[in-house]
Amino acid sequence: MREAIGMEALKTKGRKIWLVVAVMMGVQMLWAGWAISNKDANDLVQGWLFFLYQFPMLNCIIMPVIAAVVASRLCEVEHKGQTFKLLETIVPANRIFDAKFIWGSIYMFGAALGQVAIMIGMGLMLHFGGPVPWGALGGYLFFTLAVSLTIYAFQQVVSMLFANQMVPMTLGLVGGFIGLFSMFFPQGFQKFILWSYYGVLMQIGMNWDQNTRAIDFYWTAIDWSGFVLLFVFFGLIYGIGRILFVRREV
Amino acid sequence: MFIRVLKAEMIKMRHSPVWLAFLLIPIIPAFMGTFNYLNNLEILENEWYSLWTQHTLFACYFFLPVLIGIYCSYLWRLEHANHNWNAVMTAPVPITHLFLAKLIMGSAMVVLTQLWIGLLYILSGLLAGVSGPIPPELSVWLFFGALGGMVACALQLFISLVIRSFAVPVGIALMGGIAGLALLSKGYGIWFPYALITLGMRANDPAAPMSVGEIQFILACAVFMAGFSLFAIIWLKRRDVVTG
Repeated sequence: MREAIGMEALKTKGRKIWLVVAVMMGVQMLWAGWAISNKDANDLVQGWLFFLYQFPMLNCIIMPVIAAVVASRLCEVEHKGQTFKLLETIVPANRIFDAKFIWGSIYMFGAALGQVAIMIGMGLMLHFGGPVPWGALGGYLFFTLAVSLTIYAFQQVVSMLFANQMVPMTLGLVGGFIGLFSMFFPQGFQKFILWSYYGVLMQIGMNWDQNTRAIDFYWTAIDWSGFVLLFVFFGLIYGIGRILFVRREV
Repeated sequence: MFIRVLKAEMIKMRHSPVWLAFLLIPIIPAFMGTFNYLNNLEILENEWYSLWTQHTLFACYFFLPVLIGIYCSYLWRLEHANHNWNAVMTAPVPITHLFLAKLIMGSAMVVLTQLWIGLLYILSGLLAGVSGPIPPELSVWLFFGALGGMVACALQLFISLVIRSFAVPVGIALMGGIAGLALLSKGYGIWFPYALITLGMRANDPAAPMSVGEIQFILACAVFMAGFSLFAIIWLKRRDVVTG
């Protein structure tokens, strides 16, 4: 397995995948800066809660795109070079699948970690109220990674099965947009849509007073049943996808 | 010669799965917009005009840039595949014709998308029971939206020409759309290609005239399109091809 992962590392050399992740993080940082720039000193007291509410919402769009781009970059090299035929004669197909997933996960982890760094950096710079909520930020990192890896698994399956990368890109984007839209719906409905789990596993709720137009954020209990369901989604996508990849004719 | 290049482009697009994106992606903002409109009837009192803001709000910032990104990546996909650049660049066809044919194909797809968005808007309004006549300005919104879309198309064609990946330019388009939202709110929309779609479609306030003059808008579109086309043509003329 170590050799297979090493091979993935060599294949991605010079393909500037980290640059894609960095650009996406840059946009997310700009967005966060723009969103927080409208807040006054009173709002900044709830700055941590605001970020922990805003970031998962934006993640519905940003992270599926990162997952789709990374998966596409890792898989299109094989389609372009028609290398699966050669690869599968020297490495078992399931190991290729696993290695690609592990290597792609590193990028997803980097993106999630980058978001936490943005939150901490901006929070300290703008003097948000209270100490840094390390526990909540750790929870955010964990849940963001869990959802992102499940979406990444889906993208990898589709990117490996379709030579034409337009199909996984379209499916990923449509999924991301539906995920964003599903935030308008009750949580029961959201749980059926993979891309909306950034919202399902959010640790913050929001109250909006229609008369005063004031916004108030509050801590909510973590939806562990949603997390279990996400785990089931991951198992199904990874398991079925891996079988489809292994059994397909090269 | 140019007509033949255009015909070749049409043959390349035949039976392509790009219709999947063309049909599916605009349905989502239409659905989202109508749902949002129906849920906020007490605030959104301007009927068809309010419905338009809800439809275009998401479409202009997220969906259209991405969709145009997909179109443009697809238009160069065949050239980037295998060793096709060798065949393309040795064919007795002026490079300018080659790029302009791609731009026309992309622009035609943008126009069709605008028509599809218009149709979805009318259908949604009728299904949602919006009273009053359909706004006569609809064709103007769609026309200026298409112009803005063509600028995004020229830029995306350049990006997809330079970056050989299918996915990366689409990601850039999404980032551009999001950045356009911030820049437009600060009043710099006319200077940013991705924000021109929103500006042209009057997504923020369809009842009011465009925040910049129409002549200024058309001029900005023409300058951006000419600039990006020039960049792409110079790139094609000066750079050696990378194949495989």
